[in-house]
Amino acid sequence: MSRSVWKGPFVDAYVLKKAEASRESGRSEVIKIWSRRSTILPQFVGLTFGVYNGHKHIPVNVSEDMIGQKFGEYSPTRTYYGHAADKKAKRK
Amino acid sequence: MDQPDDLICVGAIAGAFGVQGELRLKSFTADPEAIADYAPLLTEDGSRSFDVTVSRPISNGLAVRLTGVSTKEQADALKGVKLYVPRDRLPSLPDDEFYHADLIGLEVLDTGGTLLGRVKSVLNHGAGDLLELHGPGLKSSVLLPFTRDVVPTVDLDAGRIIVDPPEGLI
Repeated sequence: MSRSVWKGPFVDAYVLKKAEASRESGRSEVIKIWSRRSTILPQFVGLTFGVYNGHKHIPVNVSEDMIGQKFGEYSPTRTYYGHAADKKAKRK
Repeated sequence: MDQPDDLICVGAIAGAFGVQGELRLKSFTADPEAIADYAPLLTEDGSRSFDVTVSRPISNGLAVRLTGVSTKEQADALKGVKLYVPRDRLPSLPDDEFYHADLIGLEVLDTGGTLLGRVKSVLNHGAGDLLELHGPGLKSSVLLPFTRDVVPTVDLDAGRIIVDPPEGLI
């Protein structure tokens, strides 16, 4: 069953605090968080979070299309390398 | 003949598929069926080359026909063979796009010129590309977002990239 709408999205309070502090400071920093269950909110867009995967903090640059997802979705707990072949990386 | 360094592995033969000379091919390219566009594919030592015709997608790969392989016995003999293409056969890319194969192995320096390590792999978990650095001065591998702010310079000719990591990342 999905979460009731009247409750609003769930976000751990410390994530909100850290994000607000980072936004106010205006510095380029990675906000380390352990809360994989928190929902990505519109005010997080443009910030970089380091989302813990049980081993290390994976950098997650939040963009608009990630709103509503959970942080944990962008920080996999298992490593898979695969082959480079013709795969491309785009610098944003 | 090309040096192995100039070759990029794009697939591997998993064995025969059926009894009429078809093979099961594992494709490592971003679009699996695009492997046929890079034909002829070479073996690691460059001694044999194959044109590829993709028949259809199957479980764990593609059913393909290779030139010079017409029987199940010939197909079985190729099990485990990796297939390569020369790097110069990959199409050139626009600015700010790079092949993973080109980035892997590059030296990574910070803005002060200190060597941090080398690029071990390029990952993407859905929130943009990440460079995984590995170096003697680092306790474990470090992930850097592949953005203009964090990676201002990529010099493929010199074999190095310059990074300006945000606080708390290294």
